[in-house]
Amino acid sequence: MESVLAFCFAVAIAPLLPAVIQKTKAYFAGKQGPPLLINYYTMIKLFKKGSVYSTSTSFVFKLGPVVGFSTSLMMLLYFPMAEVAPIFSFHGDVLILFYLMGLGRFFTILAALDTASPFEGMGAAREAFFSTLAEMTIFAILILFFKLTGSLSFYEFFSGDQAIDLMGEYSALLILVVVGLYVVMLTENSRVPVDDPATHLELTMIHEAMILDHSGPDLALIEMGAWFKLLFYSGFLARLIDPFHAENVIVNGLLFYAVVTFIYISIGVVESITARYKMPQVPKFILTPFILVFFVIILSMGVMQ
Amino acid sequence: MIELSSAFFSINHLSDALMSLTILSVLMSLGSNRLMALVKIMAFQGIVVSLTPLFLEHHESMNFSSIILLLIMLFIKGMLIPGFMYAAVKKIKIRREVEPIIGYHASLFAGLLFILLGAFIANRLHISLPVENDLLLITAITTLSAGLFLLMSRRKAITQVIGYLMMENGIYLIGTALAKETHTMYVVEFGVLLDLLVGIMIMGIVLHNINSSYNDVDTALLGQLKDN
Amino acid sequence: MDTLFVSIAVILAGGAAGLLFYRQFTLMKLVTIITTSAGCGIGLYFVLPKLLQGTTATVSYNWMHTLTLFFQLDSVSLFFLMPIFLIPPLTLVYSFHYLENREKRLRTGVNYFFFSILIASMAMVVMSANMITFLLAWELMSISSFFLVMYDYESSENRKAGYLYFIFAQGGAMLLFAAFALVHSHSGSFDFNSFAAIPEQAKLLIFILAFLGFGSKAGIFPLHIWLPKAHPAAPSHVSAIMSGVMIKMGIYGIFRMYLLLDPATPVIGQIVLVTGMVTGILGVVYALAKQDIKQLLAYSSVENIGIILIGLGIGMMGVSGQNQAMAFFGFAGAFLHVFNHSIFKSLLFMGAGSVLHKAKSKNIEELGGLMKRMPVTGRSFLVGSVAISGLPPFSGFIGEFLIYYGAFQGLTGEKLPFILTVLAIISLAVIGGMASACFTKVVGLAFLGEPRTEQADNASESGIAMGAVMSIMALSCLLIGVLPEPFVRLAFSGIQDITAVSSFNSDSFLLIVRHLSKTAMLFIAIFIAVSLFRKILYLKKEIGSGSTWGCGFTQPTVRMQYTGTSYAYEMVEFFKPFVPIKNAYTGVKKIFPGKTTWQSEVTDIAETGYQRYLTTPLLSFITKLKWIQHGHIQLYIGYIIVAIIVLLLFL
Repeated sequence: MESVLAFCFAVAIAPLLPAVIQKTKAYFAGKQGPPLLINYYTMIKLFKKGSVYSTSTSFVFKLGPVVGFSTSLMMLLYFPMAEVAPIFSFHGDVLILFYLMGLGRFFTILAALDTASPFEGMGAAREAFFSTLAEMTIFAILILFFKLTGSLSFYEFFSGDQAIDLMGEYSALLILVVVGLYVVMLTENSRVPVDDPATHLELTMIHEAMILDHSGPDLALIEMGAWFKLLFYSGFLARLIDPFHAENVIVNGLLFYAVVTFIYISIGVVESITARYKMPQVPKFILTPFILVFFVIILSMGVMQ
Repeated sequence: MIELSSAFFSINHLSDALMSLTILSVLMSLGSNRLMALVKIMAFQGIVVSLTPLFLEHHESMNFSSIILLLIMLFIKGMLIPGFMYAAVKKIKIRREVEPIIGYHASLFAGLLFILLGAFIANRLHISLPVENDLLLITAITTLSAGLFLLMSRRKAITQVIGYLMMENGIYLIGTALAKETHTMYVVEFGVLLDLLVGIMIMGIVLHNINSSYNDVDTALLGQLKDN
Repeated sequence: MDTLFVSIAVILAGGAAGLLFYRQFTLMKLVTIITTSAGCGIGLYFVLPKLLQGTTATVSYNWMHTLTLFFQLDSVSLFFLMPIFLIPPLTLVYSFHYLENREKRLRTGVNYFFFSILIASMAMVVMSANMITFLLAWELMSISSFFLVMYDYESSENRKAGYLYFIFAQGGAMLLFAAFALVHSHSGSFDFNSFAAIPEQAKLLIFILAFLGFGSKAGIFPLHIWLPKAHPAAPSHVSAIMSGVMIKMGIYGIFRMYLLLDPATPVIGQIVLVTGMVTGILGVVYALAKQDIKQLLAYSSVENIGIILIGLGIGMMGVSGQNQAMAFFGFAGAFLHVFNHSIFKSLLFMGAGSVLHKAKSKNIEELGGLMKRMPVTGRSFLVGSVAISGLPPFSGFIGEFLIYYGAFQGLTGEKLPFILTVLAIISLAVIGGMASACFTKVVGLAFLGEPRTEQADNASESGIAMGAVMSIMALSCLLIGVLPEPFVRLAFSGIQDITAVSSFNSDSFLLIVRHLSKTAMLFIAIFIAVSLFRKILYLKKEIGSGSTWGCGFTQPTVRMQYTGTSYAYEMVEFFKPFVPIKNAYTGVKKIFPGKTTWQSEVTDIAETGYQRYLTTPLLSFITKLKWIQHGHIQLYIGYIIVAIIVLLLFL
């Protein structure tokens, strides 16, 4: 019951949090920014609309948003948000979940290529490349967590005797993991400095260029999928850095979401003070955390006792 | 209700954190393409590295003079040398790109190799030497070899200086790792550092002269000085 | 066991029928396909229950009163017999509509004849239990497949590809002869059972020789270069069987050799693992760099051989490190991937054949928009692509999951094994990501978007036989992905006779497999629910249609679409030192520039390496010996006499 409620709450709050990023950016720009509920309004507006489909597209184009949305939803079903046990969990679920994310990406890329537009093709190529690099970091993190906890599931990572804890034995090294995960989060969710959804030129975008031709409810599904994904990653990060452990579930949940909000604000700050990297620079940016995490793995081998 | 674990603030963890930050700075310097950023990273690295002895377990009982020595070290490594380089970059209007001979991705993977190498060497030394902190040794070896790698793989004269500086940081860390008695070692270390400082000043003057006579600071131009 | 020989006899009879009835084209095809498939059916009917019960059988025949042909069946052989009997009938049915040219009916008959010999010899390779039988079957397999590759022998390029294949097949066989001869010199017996008794220090050399020999068949890097040449040359149903089943015989050989030698040294496992990683990563990078669908699929086979070898390597390292769980899941994962790959790779090759048949091109830069024109081919190719990228809920994921699981169990190791295991997991992740990129490229550019040429625009769906087979295979990819348990059990029973892991209890893992299947079903349920939700949202809404948004450009042409080269360029460039890219750009010169061209080509580093360090020096050396050849038959006879005398004198 608790799990279901936590899941529903996560789904409900997912559109709210990205508005925090927009608010932060507006604050830095000296503007007032959109209302906090902006994303709910956008969603309702998009759901009310119809769509225009390009004559070039086939059924794969319509499949893209549905698969992408479903895979993001799966992540929330299996992830222990706010220290509540997730609805589903089993030993080995991280592998199938990250691969399901891969499935979502596969179909998003296909949907982009289906439009026969050069811009969307360019975005798709970059997405395929950068996410492969980010995947290396993710699996390095999984190896490390397996080494530390002996488990392969989100829930087990953060529960039980050997739960991962920033205060625990490996605290200093986990800082590097946090850095790595933060970069992965920026990459996978197409944020600055990897991707800039707010530029004026489609040539320089990645994710935003891929969904140029989607409209109406299809676009709403894509956006919601992206919000879920961002919530999943920042939830993952929050579980790592959250220093508070309360007895009461609700207090705990509030503290957890406070940390999540903090992460969203930090994303806003990063976006305000940095510019997007040149495209050839991006792989370097994504590779650095992989090597950091690899370093931690080597240390976990037993050199450090 | 809310508890903050106190273990986090234990000395050992802090030194581990410093080591992690050093590794981070090494990797960032391998991957950075702007000279200015590189100088900033080196300043950061200098501060982190010179702070390390303060937080090592066997160095806990430090006397006043060694702390003074440490502070001077911090000042030179963290401010003086980077400040000097900062001024050099600003003043002689070097182009901002680093101009690598070996590309950034390859450099990063080389960093990975150095870490592996460091782990294996540390493991070896562990048997023969009374090293207490393996992480420190790995970091030191990684920093040292990455410094050498920077020397080898970057074209600009100023990056050569940075490579030397990084190497020096690595040597300093190795010294810290191996030293049982603190003061004796710092004296030697301090001498090395002063040498380096002088070296960097000379380098700055030479750089300035290369710049005024060639309008560039590419070390490849030094090849023109050789006898034919 | 006799049933198996009956099935082989029926298969061969089917092939002979192809030769006998070649004048009646359709009849010949029908008779051959039905008979051969029936033979395979008999084989499967025999193999499947045996595999599940775990029985072994041996039988021996005296051959020409001098040598014994010795056959033995254990669980490993039985497992490898499954794809051998399962895939050929499907490809044969496919070929009914694929080989349509009546003019070439004799050639088609011959093709069917060698096809049946290939099936029979592969079955015999897997069954044989002494060196003589094995090598006999192995050579038969190489030669029959050589003739299958040479189907379109008129084109000189195809002939060259065939010769290259022949060289690699025979070069590999030579290494096998060397390995077996070494064993024989130690043990004095032809029997496979004598392998384990030879001294430990000889085993490493023997294994490496055999590994290279079998590797040239399997396509390990850098012995893979015949694959991307032979597959485009061969007809698609032949490529399907060669890539889907025959190269797995190389894997079988490596694994059998390992089992027979039973080496104690951990080096062997490490060699296999590292080879697997290199083969996998470079295979997928080259696959990404190629624009010819069949070449791309050939490189993708190289990549999958890499994945299988990673699984085997993990297993072997588990055995040498006494980590039963690691060994068990490594081997089981490799086995399951062998089985899965045989299905989806055949499916993809058939899809490529169907495209080649109708759109008259296998270059993806000349295709596009085929999903609407060839719906069945397009959809099954899409499913095959998702499966081969290892994405759930399709079959490819299950095998990779087992390998991952085994590798994660191996993280308890120390130093070198640990680091190798970490690298194995990360390479699997990289291979997975790159494979998705590679297959989104194929599907996205060849089947989606707008057709780039007139031929692609005029393409239509292929015959029913082809469509039906492809649909069946696509469905089975989904089935294995959603209900993996019986297939995982099958892989488990495939390794039950391996003594190192036979005592491992896998019950707790089957629970995980059930969870996997639940997750897959949950995902499908969510997918269906979301689709319905989307349908409801679109009820009574205005659905417009127009041209793609051109970002302000109003007159798009089909040539403006992203090309395969540019799609892959950044990713391939990332691996620059291992994947040389040659660009030729004429440049923009005048104020009003004329026509300008830009060309990009990726050359295989192994191929250029052979050319530079092997063939060129060899050729220059041999040209110096040209004077021996002068065309006088009498002198040749003289050579022979001299040679005989010298031999007689010294032996």
